[in-house]
Amino acid sequence: MTMTTILVAEDEPLMRERLLEMLAQCWPEAEVVQVAENGNDAWDGFLEHEPDVAFLDIRMPGLSGLEVAERIGKLAHVVFVTAYDQYAVDAFDAGAVDYLLKPVQPDRLERAVGRLREKLSPAAVSAPPADLGHLLHHLKSALPGMRPERIKWLKANVGRQIRLIDVEDVLFFQSDTKYTRVKLRDSEALVRTPLKDLLSGLDPDRFWQIHRGIVVNAGAIAAAERVDAERLQVLLRDCDEKLPVSRTFAYLFRD
Amino acid sequence: MWRRVGNWYREWEDEQLAVLAQPELAAQVKPGYRRFFADRIARMGPLQRQQMREFSLKYRGTRFYVIVLKLMLAFSLCGVALHFTGANRGWIGPILFANTIGFSFVLAMVGAWFDYQRILQKKGRMVLTLAALLVLGLVLGLGTSLWKSGSAPSSVLVRVPNMMAGVAVGVLAIAVPVLIISFLRNRQAEAINAHLQQQAEQDRLARELAESQLRLLRAQIEPHFLFNTLGAVQQLAQHGAPRAAELTANLIDFLRSSMRDMRCEQVSLATEFALVESYLKVMQVRMGERLRYTLALPPALEAVKLPSMLLLTLAENAIKHGIEPSLRGGEVNLSARLEDGSVRIRVEDSGVGMSTTPGAGTGLDNVRSRLVLAFGAAAGLALQDGEPTGLVADITIPQATTA
Repeated sequence: MTMTTILVAEDEPLMRERLLEMLAQCWPEAEVVQVAENGNDAWDGFLEHEPDVAFLDIRMPGLSGLEVAERIGKLAHVVFVTAYDQYAVDAFDAGAVDYLLKPVQPDRLERAVGRLREKLSPAAVSAPPADLGHLLHHLKSALPGMRPERIKWLKANVGRQIRLIDVEDVLFFQSDTKYTRVKLRDSEALVRTPLKDLLSGLDPDRFWQIHRGIVVNAGAIAAAERVDAERLQVLLRDCDEKLPVSRTFAYLFRD
Repeated sequence: MWRRVGNWYREWEDEQLAVLAQPELAAQVKPGYRRFFADRIARMGPLQRQQMREFSLKYRGTRFYVIVLKLMLAFSLCGVALHFTGANRGWIGPILFANTIGFSFVLAMVGAWFDYQRILQKKGRMVLTLAALLVLGLVLGLGTSLWKSGSAPSSVLVRVPNMMAGVAVGVLAIAVPVLIISFLRNRQAEAINAHLQQQAEQDRLARELAESQLRLLRAQIEPHFLFNTLGAVQQLAQHGAPRAAELTANLIDFLRSSMRDMRCEQVSLATEFALVESYLKVMQVRMGERLRYTLALPPALEAVKLPSMLLLTLAENAIKHGIEPSLRGGEVNLSARLEDGSVRIRVEDSGVGMSTTPGAGTGLDNVRSRLVLAFGAAAGLALQDGEPTGLVADITIPQATTA
């Protein structure tokens, strides 16, 4: 049996340290594969390691815990860590989402871990993690300060000029270490922000992430085609480039 | 018969009192003389209605009759006096005359006492009505005396100039006191109204202050601040780190001074800077490298007074809407200096800035209104984008208040 893998996302160092220590104590057989200090790193780290469980702080810089959970969807079990008061937490109870109140106390964590162990046990493997989409949508509107700010204009250095690019005109974004390659119909540019940090400003309904390093404008997609039994690729309307779709995101093109 | 008159009067009085309390009831009074008076009452101002209602309640029932009897007695005595001043006037005439004049006068004064606004608005019409009534009385009187005595019209007409003078004196005798009373009463009412308005304004400000204090209190004990801080204390304490005691001390310091300052209208800049520092110390332990801060207060400005908790509100905004949402964290800098004869206090952060922080205006309206309340329009709060990122908040206080 493979070891259970965990992602922990929490922006305050002491709270992070505390959660990690407590996890090591009450769930020694699980391995923390990724520790993130903000939502953008959490999502990027999730794609890299594909852990079984994600402990997500709700209020974080970049993507909020709710937005990360929304993207994780059915790919992992999510436990929220929050300092929201009882009133807001009622919304979680209604949806049977697991959550821990900050500061996290050992007995509460043990109970949550117990439930996770049950869900991850071989007997329960046929039951995938709950899809929280609908509930998360409701939570985002219920919690204050949870409406994300969208990017409208991108600034890109082109020679000596700074070009302003309307996000809507972008065909796709491709990660290039610390930069992001922005492909337009007739040209391309480099933006000085890593893709993981651009993500939180992009409307997920319009810009689909199809790979850890690629986000494509859904309106620019002409078709998706099978490369072999495992792999898919996306063909674009006004561009010859073919974009790979990772296994994680293949569900986007299944009917 | 007396009982019927008494009942009629009591019924009418009750109706008037009801209209005085609720002017909209006037529309339900059945048409006729009662409706006429009810409508008049309904047109009076709320203050006048209240005064008149108090008066009516005071002189209700027996007291009213006692007063009327006393007045009748007084006027009758005047009539008796009048009897002795001239010859062959008899008894009934002078007494009747004195009572009629007396009661008219009293009625006019009572009217002026309560309905002064209308009288002042329509003083011309009132004087004309008065004059017309007196002339009418004169003509009627002359007519009857001519008809009764049967003497030649010329012998009576000789007296007309005298009588005209009498009319003028009569008009003045009633109009002047009525106008004087109306004028004085109106001035009194204006003073009362101004006072009431002032009181309402003061009540509103007091309420606003209480609300803002409550908001601040809630902000301090909001779950994010208190629970996250206690969580940090717990984590540090678990390892016996000396920083646990230090963080606890800072938290205590912060909570104690914010509760103390909340009760003060104004505090000195030194006090407020110390409060902000204890807050930033707590946040620094929690946020680690993500938060850096500086405070710079020149000794000369330490005693400058300003409304309490203002700088704390700005510092909290800087953390909550600037640094916390920023991926890289940032700096918060607090400074004060003299500029163009004003004290300028600056709270700047290098966080995510204005446009990307929904709800950043929370508390800022409150800061603005408290500044203007304390120092007038010369004080204010200005916000601008930081360079290259973040937000700069400048509070300006006129220097006259620094003395």
